[in-house]
Amino acid sequence: MRRTFGQSLSLYGGVLVIALAIGLPFWWVLTGSIKLPKEIIQRVPTMVPHSFTLQHFEKLLQASDFPIYLFNSMVVALFSTAFTVLLALPAAYAFFRMEFPGRNALYKTILLAYAFPGVVVLIPLYGLFAKVGLIDSPVALVIVNVAFALPFSIWMMRSFLATVPREIEEAAIVDGAPTTTILVRILMPLIAPGIASVAIFAFISSWTEFLFASVLIVSDVRRTIPVGFAGIIGQYQIDWGLLLAGATAAIIPVVALFALVGRWFVAGLTDGAVK
Amino acid sequence: MAGLSLQSVKKRFGETEVIGGVDLDVADGEFVVFVGPSGCGKSTLLRMIAGLERTSDGRILIGGRDVTDEDPAKRGIAMVFQTYALYPHMTVATNMGFPLEMTRRPKEEIDRKVAEAAKILHLEAYLGRKPRELSGGQRQRVAIGRAIVRQPGVFLFDEPLSNLDAELRVQMRIEIARLHQELGTTMIYVTHDQIEAMTLAGRIVVLRAGRIEQVGAPLELYEDPDNSFVAGFIGSPRMNFVPATVTAVEDGRAVVAAPEAGLTGMAVTTRGQPPKLGTSVSLGIRPEHFVPAKGAAGTLSGKISLVERLGGVTYGHVLLASGSMITVESREADRFEIGKTEIFGLQRAYLFGADGIRL
Repeated sequence: MRRTFGQSLSLYGGVLVIALAIGLPFWWVLTGSIKLPKEIIQRVPTMVPHSFTLQHFEKLLQASDFPIYLFNSMVVALFSTAFTVLLALPAAYAFFRMEFPGRNALYKTILLAYAFPGVVVLIPLYGLFAKVGLIDSPVALVIVNVAFALPFSIWMMRSFLATVPREIEEAAIVDGAPTTTILVRILMPLIAPGIASVAIFAFISSWTEFLFASVLIVSDVRRTIPVGFAGIIGQYQIDWGLLLAGATAAIIPVVALFALVGRWFVAGLTDGAVK
Repeated sequence: MAGLSLQSVKKRFGETEVIGGVDLDVADGEFVVFVGPSGCGKSTLLRMIAGLERTSDGRILIGGRDVTDEDPAKRGIAMVFQTYALYPHMTVATNMGFPLEMTRRPKEEIDRKVAEAAKILHLEAYLGRKPRELSGGQRQRVAIGRAIVRQPGVFLFDEPLSNLDAELRVQMRIEIARLHQELGTTMIYVTHDQIEAMTLAGRIVVLRAGRIEQVGAPLELYEDPDNSFVAGFIGSPRMNFVPATVTAVEDGRAVVAAPEAGLTGMAVTTRGQPPKLGTSVSLGIRPEHFVPAKGAAGTLSGKISLVERLGGVTYGHVLLASGSMITVESREADRFEIGKTEIFGLQRAYLFGADGIRL
């Protein structure tokens, strides 16, 4: 069907508005990090930087705790991602393929985890972690991140499993492959895009998590980026340049992750299998 | 190699019975084809033999061993799926060697057996390729190869050719027949295509609604069907059925008439005692069994409403005065003229009772 000029105009107009809404803040952060302080706080903001400096990044790496925060965030996010993927895959397969009493009820129930705002479980969780001596430990953050990322990850992974034709699994069963082999050697390679999606979701959830990181971590050297950086916003003064440089640097690992797992997002992995 | 025995095998999905007590013995090395319309349970029965579907009742024996509750991999079977079901991320060689790898055979043995199977199936040049780099026929050959390397007692084929185009289907059909000759292994083959059934089978099992309608050699089913379902299913185009009445019994043969269709008194041999006078029957005539009207045992008259010329044969679709349509086959391309009313001679015919059972 051909679009009329008016339809095209409103379509592209809509796309432009959305692109700007998403892109502008990024642009503001990226350009702000290389502007001189006085240009950043100029009364009339400049969209294209008039000045160029790396002083904020210098300060970030040399005079702030950013490298420590970055390291902490990395550790927490990587472990959270690894455990989420490792647990979501067998759980999703069990919900997808295995028959056990209460399967459907349980499958629906796991999403109830999202019915409670984090704040509601924060105090009881704090109490629990205090009892087992995990306050101020990155382990506590990994546990919390995995617990919150898992239900949705299982849902996502299950829908990817559903795209693999049943006959491939049946062929493997007839060939004598045990369940773990089917999962690892047959299904995992075929749902690589699903695993990548879950990994990105888990990584970003952990990377940006603030609430639990701000309460469960007490000492400054164990803080993650979101919490550590909140400290830059002082009561009387904000170092905008430092903050924007930090935000820019914080995006880099996420971009790197996308680049790394992006090659898994290849369509047509099951081509040739069943037709 | 192994024979197969199904003993009162049943399958229920909840309340619905899809396989209702099937008994069948397949001899070692036999090629048996399950045919029937869609939903008749032929694939379910095959999957039960494979162990992919749990058997609700009855026993399945392979090579004399009860495998009813055995895992698919331990039944000594190999299965070729309609959709090939290849592992798309593995090469042809890995696909074919996978079942052997699962039984932890040494690498040299796997390589040797894969090479042997590849040779039989002319796949040597493709061993390093992925399934997506192969044509449909080659993919199906890989699937067959994966079955061969296991050296199973029984091969199971679930409509293996339905995804291929017509030309390739004929080619693969010949290849499967050759494979059976070469390997001599028991093969169970499911199809809805009666040409495949007729050409491949040593014996055909005709299924309807989860029950066996008739078992026999292809020509046996064609020549001597037990009921109107088998008679209609085997043979292409399907057998014509004309409602008629028994008007007399002569020399142990039933004389039938269908005045509206222009049929007056035709004597038909029945299997047992001829039915009583006045019995409503169905007269079954194969399209290829029409003869010139002169000197024929009976005649039907009707108006030619459609002609299909296929080159070698021509089919005339004839509307009888009784309202039923019949198909008449002829070797002459210009035998039929649309709109013309003609009289067709009958030589051979079958009689079926109101319940469809052959009389």
